[in-house]
Amino acid sequence: MNINANWLAAPVVIPLLFAASSLLMATRVNLRQMRIQRNLALIASVLNLGVALLLLYTTVIQDQRMVLHAGLWQAPFGITLVADGLSAIMLTLTAVLMVTIVLYAIGTLDQREGLNFHPLLLFLLMGVNGAFLAGDLFNLYVFFEVLLMASFVLLSLGGRPGQVNGGMRYVVLNLLASTVFLTTAGVVYGTLGTLNLAHLAVRMEAAPLTLRIIVAGMLLIAYGSKAGLFPLFFWLPASYHTPHPAVTAIFGGLLTKVGIYALFRIFPLIFPDLLRDWQPLLLGIAALTMLAGVFGAMAVNTIRRVLSFHIISQVGYMVMGLGLAASGNQLAIGFGLAAGIFYIMHHMIVKTALLMAGGAAELTMGTGQLKEGYLGGLVKRFPLLAAIFFLAAFSLAGIPPSSGFVSKLGLLQAALDSQQWMIAAVSLLVSLLTLMSMVRLWQKGFAGKQYKAVLPTPRRPIYGITIAPIMILVVISLGMGIFSDTFIKWSQVAADQVIDRAGYIQAVAPSDLIEPVSLDH
Amino acid sequence: MPEIYLSLLDRILTPVLLMLAVVFLLAGHNAPGGGFIAGLVVATAFLMQILARGDQFVRRLIGTYLQPAMGVGLLIAVFSALLGIGHYGVFFQGIWWKISLGDFVLELGSPTTFDIGVFMVVSAFVTSYLLELSRPAERANK
Repeated sequence: MNINANWLAAPVVIPLLFAASSLLMATRVNLRQMRIQRNLALIASVLNLGVALLLLYTTVIQDQRMVLHAGLWQAPFGITLVADGLSAIMLTLTAVLMVTIVLYAIGTLDQREGLNFHPLLLFLLMGVNGAFLAGDLFNLYVFFEVLLMASFVLLSLGGRPGQVNGGMRYVVLNLLASTVFLTTAGVVYGTLGTLNLAHLAVRMEAAPLTLRIIVAGMLLIAYGSKAGLFPLFFWLPASYHTPHPAVTAIFGGLLTKVGIYALFRIFPLIFPDLLRDWQPLLLGIAALTMLAGVFGAMAVNTIRRVLSFHIISQVGYMVMGLGLAASGNQLAIGFGLAAGIFYIMHHMIVKTALLMAGGAAELTMGTGQLKEGYLGGLVKRFPLLAAIFFLAAFSLAGIPPSSGFVSKLGLLQAALDSQQWMIAAVSLLVSLLTLMSMVRLWQKGFAGKQYKAVLPTPRRPIYGITIAPIMILVVISLGMGIFSDTFIKWSQVAADQVIDRAGYIQAVAPSDLIEPVSLDH
Repeated sequence: MPEIYLSLLDRILTPVLLMLAVVFLLAGHNAPGGGFIAGLVVATAFLMQILARGDQFVRRLIGTYLQPAMGVGLLIAVFSALLGIGHYGVFFQGIWWKISLGDFVLELGSPTTFDIGVFMVVSAFVTSYLLELSRPAERANK
């Protein structure tokens, strides 16, 4: 089956179309119009999931790349959209999360916060999807900005005190990272004369080493701060616990992973030699990120803060996969990358489920405090919610047979195979500390005795529609653990496509027609 | 209280700015201009109105239409991008229609309609942004 390349535009067009339609609703708080917006978002996210699965089938099962030159303008001039296995996997995960978050929002959003939540969510989806499909550096930047714009507003939705504080840190650091990214794009265009990734892959080989180091370093800073890597992660725990739990859940699942995706895309394609030479740097960043995240998680005392710090420590595991991508003895080259991709799959699902469950507990109790005297005894009060949280938490900590166990095992295998003993030891230690931190969260919040909690906000009951999406995600996570060989095979296909630079260049821009700007000046 | 010379200037400048916006909108793709710039020029016209007559006046006049205008503009832009897919084409491919009025042949293409969509989004978005900015300034004056 060969599908039309125009389908590649669908993940961008569908959310945009539905978001624009729901903007036609007036701006006042109105229950009926909000319901229309919500239904539009639900339809859009289901359609988007369908398209994502279609792309997944084409790229991963059939092992193809899809390229769309918008408006028939060829590679360096027009907008190029490219989908390979990695893009399709990310698109599918995003689509799954988006469907569940719309369901979750039905149970948790109230009127004031629900105003324009759904159109913004769709704009966010459009930005994220576009970033996964972008075939050149500038469009990658544009879609990053689209998702940032939507996320700025989502962060401050509801207008509680404290949200502005968290939102400001998020805005400032992300704008700074965007500026670095745009400057780098300017440097690249000024020296190499193209921004298309396929052309860059060819021309960067001939470029002087200083240019390669500057560009790679600046991109590492830009994407690293968006992904929450050490030492630029501090904006994440400062802002992720302030918005509505539905917003935190989708941010925690999606946003940092866009930065990770960009690293996974750019480094193997454009800087294959630096990926090898900078292995100590990447592994060092990975180890420090893991440790900083997990130690931070031990020091804070609300459910969502603990979970936000865990995002950081887990992003470290993904970068570890990237660092191990270039080396391999017994195992094939790219096994590390495949393990990293599998880790992303596991993490996006499980982290969103945890943030949803923790957020539901926080909403219904009116507080997320883990200190003595606030939360406690959730097991007795909400046994179903507690059971789901338990399963998700143990998947995060890496207990078999969950997806967390398989993904950590894969990374450990890759590290031992490349004889990187240090990173292997750190990843084991962090895994243990994660387990400890999850046990602490469980004991303080879910087990123990019930307190008559101080309720600053009115409590909100837990509906079935709040639990259902979390359950879906937990089932997916368990499925990924039990049928792990299929998922590992898919990530291996995706990783091979990422490593195979010649295939990418051939698919996107077989001939490099423009003369490169001379580098003498 | 709005200044007297501003309200005088506003009567001269607003029509000029609006006409300039139309010229820029239609000139795009062949000459400097385009939907984005035209949208900014229209927003400048509304900025003149805000300065001369106060933001309450402008808000009563167009406030409720701004968000729907963004939606309509986005829809127009997306549909003109989708037009290219028809007849085994590609997303964003330009489609041109020729309208002949006697000797005078008018060329209308999907790039132009795309620009009109962009124009609506930019003018509505920037105007609503300016309206929000002018709100606390007025409160501080009272």
